[in-house]
Amino acid sequence: MSREALRVAVVGRDADLWLTASVLGRALGSTGVRVIAIEMPSRVPAGHVTATLPPIEALHEKLKIEEASLLRTTRGSFSFGQNVVAPGRQAFFHAWGAYGASIDGNPFFQCWLRAVRSGLSVPLQGFCPSAIAATNGRMLLPDDATVAFGRTDYGYHLNTLAYLALLKSLSAAAGVVLHRTSRITVQRGADGDIAALLLDDSTAIKADLFVDATRESSLLASEALEVPRTSWQAHFPADRALSSAAPAFTAIPPFAEIRITPLGLAVLHPTQSATGVVFAFSSRQMSDEVAAEQASRSSGAALRDVAFSSLKPGVLTRCWERNCIAVGAAACSVDPVHDVEMHVLQLGIVHLLSLFPVSGHFDAERLEYNRLMRSHYDRLRDFQIAFYHCAPFSGDFWAQHPTLDASEALADRIAIYKARALIAPMENESFSSESWEAVLLGLGVVPEGWSPAINAISWQRLNDEFGRMLQFVRAKVLEQPMHGAYLDSLCASGA
Amino acid sequence: MNEGVQPAPRIMRIVILGGGTAGWMTAAGLRRQLKPEHYSITLIESDEIGTVGVGEATLPHIKLFNDALGLNEAEFMRATHATFKLGIQFRDWGQPGESYMHPFGAFGEPWRGVEFQHQWLKAGLMGADPGPLQDYSYAIAAARGNAFEFPNGDPKSIRSTYAYAYHFDAGLYASHLRAWALPRGVARIEGQVLQVKRHPQGGEINALLLKSGELVTGDLFVDCSGFRSLLLGQTLGVGWEDWNQWLSCDRALAVPSRRVEPMTPYTRATACEAGWCWRIPLQHRTGNGYVFSSRFTDEETARRTVLAGLDAEPLAEPRLLKFLPGRRRIAWSQNCVAIGLASGFLEPLESTSIFLVQAAVADLIRLLPDPGCPATDSRLAKEFNRLNELQYERVRDFLVLHYFANARHGQPLWDYARAMQIPDSLQHKLDLFRSRAALPSYQYGLFSRDSWLSVLMGQGVKPRAYERLADTLTESALTERLQSLRQRIAANAARMSPHSDFVAGYCESRHLAQESAT
Repeated sequence: MSREALRVAVVGRDADLWLTASVLGRALGSTGVRVIAIEMPSRVPAGHVTATLPPIEALHEKLKIEEASLLRTTRGSFSFGQNVVAPGRQAFFHAWGAYGASIDGNPFFQCWLRAVRSGLSVPLQGFCPSAIAATNGRMLLPDDATVAFGRTDYGYHLNTLAYLALLKSLSAAAGVVLHRTSRITVQRGADGDIAALLLDDSTAIKADLFVDATRESSLLASEALEVPRTSWQAHFPADRALSSAAPAFTAIPPFAEIRITPLGLAVLHPTQSATGVVFAFSSRQMSDEVAAEQASRSSGAALRDVAFSSLKPGVLTRCWERNCIAVGAAACSVDPVHDVEMHVLQLGIVHLLSLFPVSGHFDAERLEYNRLMRSHYDRLRDFQIAFYHCAPFSGDFWAQHPTLDASEALADRIAIYKARALIAPMENESFSSESWEAVLLGLGVVPEGWSPAINAISWQRLNDEFGRMLQFVRAKVLEQPMHGAYLDSLCASGA
Repeated sequence: MNEGVQPAPRIMRIVILGGGTAGWMTAAGLRRQLKPEHYSITLIESDEIGTVGVGEATLPHIKLFNDALGLNEAEFMRATHATFKLGIQFRDWGQPGESYMHPFGAFGEPWRGVEFQHQWLKAGLMGADPGPLQDYSYAIAAARGNAFEFPNGDPKSIRSTYAYAYHFDAGLYASHLRAWALPRGVARIEGQVLQVKRHPQGGEINALLLKSGELVTGDLFVDCSGFRSLLLGQTLGVGWEDWNQWLSCDRALAVPSRRVEPMTPYTRATACEAGWCWRIPLQHRTGNGYVFSSRFTDEETARRTVLAGLDAEPLAEPRLLKFLPGRRRIAWSQNCVAIGLASGFLEPLESTSIFLVQAAVADLIRLLPDPGCPATDSRLAKEFNRLNELQYERVRDFLVLHYFANARHGQPLWDYARAMQIPDSLQHKLDLFRSRAALPSYQYGLFSRDSWLSVLMGQGVKPRAYERLADTLTESALTERLQSLRQRIAANAARMSPHSDFVAGYCESRHLAQESAT
């Protein structure tokens, strides 16, 4: 079959534009798809840090980005998870990796709960190699033994401007044609589809498909095509965020830290050259000025490059409308607490690739994409709402616990977790059941029971297995290099 | 940590009603995972109530269930007169005369991130004549040669690309599980239920009064009473969701026939005028049957059809079974959980009945209330019901595909099926396959992508295009690769031993072994 040549124009800014353009260009460039990138002015503040989840590795592989050069170029660092620190409470670590290993096919979490009920005093994260390594300032480099034990995935903290420059250069290298403009005018065809985009200099960019990567402004999908947006605002306490940079830590922690304050939360993203600080708060409770003071106090440092933005969590009712696909923040805005923003973008790109039209007829693809993306985004939203719903923290910001009525699935999931220490399996879930368990438990939600099959395991067997795992974690962690030293050697190699 | 701080647990009394395959799988599965001092298990069965127990074909998952019980495979196969199963052959489902196999195995291999069907489609469209898709499955090659061997564990080897299941006598399987369960503390009561005693306020079940006058009390009741659904349906009044609009068949005539050679390592499902006929080879006989729709034929015609289709002398008169396609709206209501036919029925076209039992038992163990806690915990019931619904709907859609995508023009059942409005969940899968040869991707429930591929292609659903990524494969490399794959499959399959010999050497049933000795 001979293909109709397809032209796809990606319009937008920052990571949403450059990650989409570079991946589409690399993956489809050799299959007769012409990718055009239309760059709008960046809105990234100077000191901004991008935090990624482990799955980003798949896109980096597609782009042939090597870890060493990525971290060298962006002065970035590793992130094994998020440490959650709240006044008056024990901190807990939400690791991207696995907690414990199953015992005779039984989930570790349930075995651990049974042991705790009988006096075991080791916290859940004591069985998570990457959590113990990270909180001790160490890497956790996978080997056969750790792979057999469980996942030790990590993401990155990258200085955004350098990362964007890298993605932009990769886009060009992948044959993506670049245009720049400060404004666009959308031209619709007789059939209602988008026919072309007019740039500042009146150049008309025609294409078969348009990708809206214009972030919150959603210039194509929301503005031009008037796709309605479902707001999730009522479920989230923060409607405003500060972004800034603090000096780098002397010993760079290989994780993000969430610092809870009575009036909001700060997320610290350490890198080699600086620490990104995001502070999420409610504009009804605090002015920007007070928020800046709070953020500075909470991060224990003077902040530079302070910028504010509004948070409008929500999602497009249809992410693919006519011949326009919205990805990233144009499709779905999330709360900053769990570092999922890049993951939202990645989900949109990956599914666009797997459903990229093979001809001029793509109704089936459009319907499937819309069905899939809503499901993915709803599951991410549920994870975030669960965090705020269960948060036991004190202070005005935390006083209004959001309800669980965003979806029936969420209320049921929390109910079944409480009853049985079980995360109901659902399609299109981004976070593992171990993530759910670590976060819910860390917030103080302790299940009432577990599967009775757990009670049939002998005490001897449980004791032996726990002992073996703890020994393994200790031995593995002690083998690991310190994060800073590892970064130094990695970035020096081949430089 | 030590056991001393645990309060002495009370006992939860689990009563299973019905001793067919579902009842004994439930009893054995629960007994294997639950401590006797926490859960007592009693099963009530009646020798007077027959079980449906015809020759049964299974899915590979059953091996996990048997392994968990610690059953010795050869002994289990001997005891149930079992043979191996590599898939199902579908005859006459497209144009009459056509046939395809749904194997328990992969088609080809992904290459540079491109799934196999795209490589194959591309090769065909560029005129390289890759031959039928079915030639790229090792399991199919083995099945065609009536051969069998165990898959090996080397993921690089073509001989690791399949799984297997069994054909067995379901009645004997139930007996085999009973023999496993009784010495391990499952109590068996012979008897029939006269009356179900319910709590006057809550309405949950308190006890079963047997005809013998014995009163069997319990905390949780598992309804394995088959189509009657005595507890969940008749007593608790849980409604029925009828799927007759998609699955018209509501009768079956079962008849055993003498064993013939070669003994096929696969089930056969042959489409007929008003339904389809099964053929299940066991060691001592062949199980046959005609699943038909009473809307489209009468019993006498059906009887003639099933007898005419036999490849050997019948060993009994055809026996009639009546059923309704669909499921109870919920499977766990109050303190009653229905498993097996008591919770729903889907025709055996894809051998899913025992799998659905197995999945329900596993979910029940995960969600079983603690001793001393109410068995009516709605949180547990709700999750069980959600999972149960998912399993049934996944299977339903897959079955409906076989009927909907047929090419049997001019036969009323099949003309109806082609014109029917199918569930949305199936329609979008079909649309996507037609548009770009994309296979359904979901994590939970049956069936695998390879299964969908075999049936979609087998039923004649034609993709209009393949993935763009396949365009990055050069034509010469693709041709070479496909050729070598076919050769590897053919060469390896040719070295397998005949299924009959394999079964005789591994697990020949005792009375058969005696017969051949005399």
